[in-house]
Amino acid sequence: MTVSRRGFLKIAGAAGTAGLVGRSKEARAAPPRRGSDETPAMLVDTTKCVGCRACEAACSEANRLPDPARAGEESLFAGKRTTDSRTYTVVNGYLSSGKDGTRPTFVKTQCMHCTQPACASACLVGALEKTPEGPVVYHADRCMGCRYCMVACPFGVPKFEYEKAVPYIQKCSFCIERLDQGKLPACAQVCPSGALQFGKRKELLEIAKSRIYQNPDRYVHHIYGEHEVGGTGWLYISQIPFEQLGFRADLGTRPYPEFTWPFLSAVPFVLMLWPPFLVGLYAFRKGKEETAQGTAGGEGVETRHE
Amino acid sequence: MIPNDLLAMQSTKAMEYLIAVAFLLLFIPFWRFVNAKAVAERVVVSEVSRRLGRVLDWFLVPDQVYFHPGHAWARVGDGGLVTVGMDDFSQKLVGEVSAIRLPEVGARLGQGEKGWCLQSESKSIDMLSPVDGVVVAVNGQVVASPEKVNLDPYGDGWLLRVRAPRLAANLKQLLSGTLAKRWMEEVCENLRMMMDPDLGRVYQDGGLPIHGMARGLNPSRWDAVARTFFLT
Amino acid sequence: MNETVQRTVATRSWVTEELLMGLSPREYVRTLVTPWNIAAALVLLVGLPVIAYRFLYGLGAVTNLSQTNPWGLWIGLDVLCGVALAAGGYTLASSVYLFGLKEYYPLLRPAILTGFLGYFFVVVGLLVDLGQPWRIPYPVIYSYGVTSVMFLVAWHVFLYLTVQFLEFCPAILEWLGWRNIRRWVTRLTIGATVFGVILSTLHQSALGALFLMAPTRLHPLWYTPFIPIYFFISSIVAGLGMVIMESALSHKIFRDQIDPERHVELDAITLALGKAASVVLFTYLFLKLLGIADGGHWELLRTPFGHWFLVELLGFVLLPCFLFAHGVREKNVRLVRATAVLTVIGIIVNRLNVSIIAFNWDVPDRYVPSGMEVITSITIITLGILTFRWIVNRMPVLREHPEYRGVH
Repeated sequence: MTVSRRGFLKIAGAAGTAGLVGRSKEARAAPPRRGSDETPAMLVDTTKCVGCRACEAACSEANRLPDPARAGEESLFAGKRTTDSRTYTVVNGYLSSGKDGTRPTFVKTQCMHCTQPACASACLVGALEKTPEGPVVYHADRCMGCRYCMVACPFGVPKFEYEKAVPYIQKCSFCIERLDQGKLPACAQVCPSGALQFGKRKELLEIAKSRIYQNPDRYVHHIYGEHEVGGTGWLYISQIPFEQLGFRADLGTRPYPEFTWPFLSAVPFVLMLWPPFLVGLYAFRKGKEETAQGTAGGEGVETRHE
Repeated sequence: MIPNDLLAMQSTKAMEYLIAVAFLLLFIPFWRFVNAKAVAERVVVSEVSRRLGRVLDWFLVPDQVYFHPGHAWARVGDGGLVTVGMDDFSQKLVGEVSAIRLPEVGARLGQGEKGWCLQSESKSIDMLSPVDGVVVAVNGQVVASPEKVNLDPYGDGWLLRVRAPRLAANLKQLLSGTLAKRWMEEVCENLRMMMDPDLGRVYQDGGLPIHGMARGLNPSRWDAVARTFFLT
Repeated sequence: MNETVQRTVATRSWVTEELLMGLSPREYVRTLVTPWNIAAALVLLVGLPVIAYRFLYGLGAVTNLSQTNPWGLWIGLDVLCGVALAAGGYTLASSVYLFGLKEYYPLLRPAILTGFLGYFFVVVGLLVDLGQPWRIPYPVIYSYGVTSVMFLVAWHVFLYLTVQFLEFCPAILEWLGWRNIRRWVTRLTIGATVFGVILSTLHQSALGALFLMAPTRLHPLWYTPFIPIYFFISSIVAGLGMVIMESALSHKIFRDQIDPERHVELDAITLALGKAASVVLFTYLFLKLLGIADGGHWELLRTPFGHWFLVELLGFVLLPCFLFAHGVREKNVRLVRATAVLTVIGIIVNRLNVSIIAFNWDVPDRYVPSGMEVITSITIITLGILTFRWIVNRMPVLREHPEYRGVH
C-alpha cells in the first residue's frame, strides 16, 4: 500500500510511543511500595548457623556454577571471602569473644534483595529489576556491561565477569524459578540448622522481633535489613554487633533511589523552563537589534578602514 | 546530608547564609577589580596632558582636535585660523626628527596633499596636510629645535597656522572625539600586527613603545614603514 | 562516453583538491612525515593492538578494574573529562546565538567542532569500556531504565551528538558544495543551539548526579547533593578554558588558514573569555564552600584527603580565578592563556577526584590504572586530535569558505 510521508511519520510516531508504553508496562511491573510487607523474604539467624556451607553447595548446584571453594576445610574461615562472578553466596566465619567463649559466628552473604534496590534504580536498561515476587532479578538480554549497578549497590553485590570477552553481571537471584514453582530457595531448602527461614517479610520481622524479645541476652536488639537503605529482603539477627560481622553500619535508612530522585525530578522542569527563557532572550535581543538598526542611520558610527 | 538534630541544622544553615552573603558582598569589589584598568596602563605623560586628552592605549588623542588619516592634526582657533601639526603617533613612529621642512607663509595647502616634510637620518618622509588653505604662520621654534615635535606634538610642537576658507567641508573629512579614538585603536592594532608575528609580545609587557618604533620594526627601511602610515 | 570521462576527472580533481589538499598522492604522503605525525603513528601502533586485545580477551586482561573498583581511567578521563572539556561547543554557541555576542563568531565553528569530536570520542571511549559495547544503542531503542541517571546521560549524549553534528553541518556542506541542503540546515541552527544548551545543562549535571548513588564510596568532602550543580558550573569553566586554549593553538598551528582580521580579534576575544571564566570561577568557589558547610565536615579538611581537596579548591579554582582577573586587567593575553591551561588541568583533576581518587577512598584495594589503560586513553585522545586536524585542514572551520563569505 502506498503511504504518504506524513502518513508514514504518523504511523511511526504512534508505533514508537506505543512501543515505549507497551514495553514499559510489560517489562517493569510497578515495584512494591516502601516497606511492602507481603513480599517474600529470608530471615538469617546467625546464632543458628553452624558454618556447614551446605547452602553454598546447593546454590552452585541450582545455578550450575562451579563447586564452592575448598569444601569442608575449617581454615577457610581464616580469611574473608566475597561473592564473585561464579559464586553467588559465601559464608564467612568471625571469631569473637562472646558470651559463649570464642565460638565463631557464621554469616551468609549474598544479594540483599532490597525493597528499593539501588541497582535496579541505577540500571539504564532495566537489566536489574525488582519483581513483585520479591527477588531482584537480572535480565542478561538487556545488560550492556556499564557496571553502574556495581557503583550504586551499597553492599557491593553485583559481580562482573572481567575474565570474559562477553561479560555479564552475576548475583544471587533468590531462586526465582524455584519460587515460581512453589519451592524454597535452594539455600533455605538444605539448611540443616534452621538458620535460614523463608517467608513473608512482615511475618519474618514478627518472628525476629519475638525471638529477640524472648531471648534478650542472646541477640543484639536490632534486625539488620529492617530499615537499612529503606529495608532489605534478607534480614539478619545476631548475637554479635553487626559491625563486627562485616556489615556496614553507615548505610542509613534512606532508600538509594531517593538519592537521585530530586535531580531526576528537576530534569523535566529544566527541559521546560530553558526553551522559553532562551528563546525569549534571543527574541528580545533580536528586537533590540532591529530597533537599533532602524535608528542607526543618523549616527554615522562607521570607523574608517584605511 | 540533612543533620539529624536541630542544633546542627541551625549552625549549618547559619554558615550557609553567611557564605551566601559573603559572596554577594565580595562580588562587587571583585567585579570592579576585574574591570579596572591596571596602573601600568595609566600612562604618565608630560605636562602636555593638560589638554585633557584621554590616553588611548599608547598614544595621546586629545579632544577638540581633528585628525587626518595621514596622522596630521588640525585645531580650530579664533578668526577661522587653524593650527596644524603632526600627532603623537607619528612623532613616536619616526622618533627623533633632525629637521622639518615646512612650507613658506603664503603657500597653498590642499587637504590630503603633501603638507610638509620630515627629515631624520638622511631619510625624508612627507606628511599630508589635514586642511585646504593658505599658510599664514610657521612655527619658527620648531624649525630651530625640531625636538619640540617629539616633546609636545599638540602644544609647542605645532607646525603651521592656516587660514582655511572651506573649513566646514574639510572637517567633515577629519576624525575627532570617539571616532578618532577608535581610529587610533585600529592603528594600534595594525602596528601591533606588524610588530611581532607572535602576537603581542611587546604589548604584553605593558610598556610604552619606544621612540622611533619604525626603526624598531625595520631599521633599514623604517621610512617605508612610516610612509604606509602617513599615506605618502 | 565523454560524460563518464568528465565525471571521473571531476571526481578525481575533487579528491585531489579537497581530500589531498591539492597535492598529488605522492606529494601528500611526503607531507605526512612530521615529528608530530611520527609520534602519533607510534601511539597508534601500540594503542590499536591494545584495544584489539581488550576486545578479544575482555576487560580483566587489560585493566586494573576489580569488583570493588568497577570504574577506572576510561570512565574518569575519557568519559567524564571528555564531556566536560567538550563543553566549549554549547558555551560558545549560546554566547553567539542566544546572548547575541556576535564578536565571538570567529571562535564558534572550531568550538562546535571540538564539542562534536569531544563527544564523539567520549562515545569511542565508552565503546572500549562497556562490557558489551555492541549493545550501546539499547537505552535508546530497546529497554528503558527511566529511573536511572545513566539513562538520562545516554539519551542526552545521543541527542547532543546529533545536535552538534547538525550545528557543524553547514561547514561540511560548504566543503561539499551542497548549497540547497546547507540552506535548509542553517535554518535549524537556532533550534539546534537552544536544544544543545538545554541538553548540555542536563547532561553535564547528570554526569555528576551519577555519583549521588555512591554516598558511602565517595569521600564526604566531595560527596554532596550539589554535585550536579558543580559539574554543570565547572563545565562552563572547562568550556571557556578549552576555547581559549584551542583558539590559541589553532591560530598558531593553522596560521596560514586564518583570515587576517581574525588574528587581531582573537586577543580581545580571549580577554573577554578570560573575564567570564574569572567570574564563573569566583562563583564556583563560593558554591563549593556552601557545599562544605552543608555537609558539615569542616574537620575533614585537616586530613590528607582534606589537604588534597584544598589543593583542588585553592590551586585550581581560586588561583585561576585571580590569575584570569589579573590577566584581564593588565590585558595580558599570554597570562590568560596560561591560566586557561591551569583551569583545564583543574577540571581534569576534579573529574578524576570524583571518579577515581576520592572514590573508594577508604578501601584497602585502591585502584591504579594499568599501563594498557593509559595507552588506550592516549590512543583515543590522539585519534581525536588527528580527526580534528584532518577536518580543520579541509573544511571551512577556521576560515570562511570563499563562496560563502559573509553569509552568516
